[in-house]
Amino acid sequence: MARNVLVIGGGPAGLAAARALGRLGVSTILLEKDGQLGGNPIKNHYHTLIPRKLKPSQVIGPYIREVEQNPNVKVLLNTELTACEGEPGEYRVTLSNGEKHEVGAIVVATGFEHFDPRRKGELGYGLYPDVITNLELERMFSQEGRLYRPSNGQLPKRVAFVFCVGSRDRQLGVTNVHCCRYGCALSGLQGSEIREHYPDVDVFCYYMDVRTYGTWEYPFYWAPQEKYGVRYVRGRIAEITYSPADGRLRVKHEDTIVQRPAEVPMDLVVLVLGMEPSPGTKKVAKILGLAQDPDSQFLVPSDESGSNIVSNKPGIFIAGACKGPIDIESSFSEGEACAAEAAAFIGAKVAV
Amino acid sequence: MAIHERSLVEPERILRKERLVVDGVDVSGDWNLIILPRVIDDYDLDFAKEIINSPDGKTITQCYQCSYCTASCPVHNYWDERYNPRHFIYLARLGLIDELQKRADVMWRCVSCHKCTHRCPKGVLVEEVLKVILRTMAKKGLIDEYPSKKFDKFFTESVLEYGRIEDGELLFGWIEKQGYKVFKDPILRKPIPFIGETPEWLKQLTMKPLKSMNISFLVLNAKHMLFHPRTKNWNKFKHVLRKVMQEEGALN
Repeated sequence: MARNVLVIGGGPAGLAAARALGRLGVSTILLEKDGQLGGNPIKNHYHTLIPRKLKPSQVIGPYIREVEQNPNVKVLLNTELTACEGEPGEYRVTLSNGEKHEVGAIVVATGFEHFDPRRKGELGYGLYPDVITNLELERMFSQEGRLYRPSNGQLPKRVAFVFCVGSRDRQLGVTNVHCCRYGCALSGLQGSEIREHYPDVDVFCYYMDVRTYGTWEYPFYWAPQEKYGVRYVRGRIAEITYSPADGRLRVKHEDTIVQRPAEVPMDLVVLVLGMEPSPGTKKVAKILGLAQDPDSQFLVPSDESGSNIVSNKPGIFIAGACKGPIDIESSFSEGEACAAEAAAFIGAKVAV
Repeated sequence: MAIHERSLVEPERILRKERLVVDGVDVSGDWNLIILPRVIDDYDLDFAKEIINSPDGKTITQCYQCSYCTASCPVHNYWDERYNPRHFIYLARLGLIDELQKRADVMWRCVSCHKCTHRCPKGVLVEEVLKVILRTMAKKGLIDEYPSKKFDKFFTESVLEYGRIEDGELLFGWIEKQGYKVFKDPILRKPIPFIGETPEWLKQLTMKPLKSMNISFLVLNAKHMLFHPRTKNWNKFKHVLRKVMQEEGALN
């Protein structure tokens, strides 16, 4: 049996797996298709991470540094998996840079991608400059450090968050019926940040349900309302239009509590994007023969195992957002759990 | 002129012209039948802010619309389902004033049992918040004052005038204010309860205690009724009191 482990994906889950394996003294190869480690939070310049309100560099930085410095971990950037054959315990993998390796176990941490809001044409993304995504708002905070309307660079008087864009939506096909899990909480956080720094800006969240599950209820739903005065309005935004008369947007919806149609003026509209499996996840699933959810195409764990990191193939473990929407701290713990399982699978004598 | 969606036109808006001829053309029938749009085109956030910023209204932000209050509310359950505290909070928070005004006739019906406040899982002081909503609406002239406020005013005036409460004066004065004709004696112009157009229920109401009263108390009462007692030096004091109350806005 081969004595090394292949980790596919250099985001939070992959980094956590590679770091734990490196610490255990297991020889590890970490594949990342981009030119840098860190995954979506680093690539897309997230500003603050839920639920602990830390910066991505604070949280992911130490993982990246340790993985890069650990001699047991070989990091291959701009590299993808192209083929895999062999039996569990002796997988022979081919990489896009031409290298071939024999590995004892594989950790798949290929992650997700954000929904492309251009697919919901009625929301006017790409048509009106003041309709932005929550990713762009994060970038506005983290890169430019101020809130403004892209159309004129001025501070908006009103900001609307449109929940569930690309989530819970059968109109997009069976692929997008799931909940993104992070959107409600992140909007609560972003709304609070806006109200904290710009108390004169009114913030509205247009929701169907608010799914800030577990301990997220207070910090990301109650506090935004009670402490920061973010307003929650029930109704899904059906259309966003623009009024040339006053240069403001109109969010068109039915207020389902008042049971009346509404077209309310807004200066900045933020679309809260759903999560989809990344192209890498779909590709790796085909190469490795991993079970996928027939609707969403996310990876699914083995039917026989109660653990959600054990895949249908012995010796292949799945961690993080390739299995569906997940928060970053859970991605870390799943990566670490995968590392322990992989080390046990190859029978590594770990250096404790 | 026939319209099919009669339910979309409020009946009080319809102008009925039995005979209307314009330039020789007969245009008799119902007019003003345009169906008005129901679209909410903006929120009145200044109204909402006034409530949120008042000391007894600030818990309005805590409401998450679970409707525990409305389900507990005796007024909603046994009187009128249009009295819905949960809904009033939502409307006030967004400043949807026309929706609040649609319910103006039921909004004063709170009986202050405080079940809503005691049970609210989010700690909203529902009863207080609703009073703030009403107060703010009344201040801005968006709702008529509660009918019982009229009696409160009459009562306050009576106390201010004499420095004390005189039941008979108060009762008959109020009855007279309501439009009943009260018979008065020709000299002192005081009401005599048992003759004239005094309603039967009032005659009975006054008779009942009289039957069980002892004679000296009865005489005292009759004396007070005719010669209204005043608190000593009240005239000086009442001017000061009235001035202070006016300055504090307590007489409005």
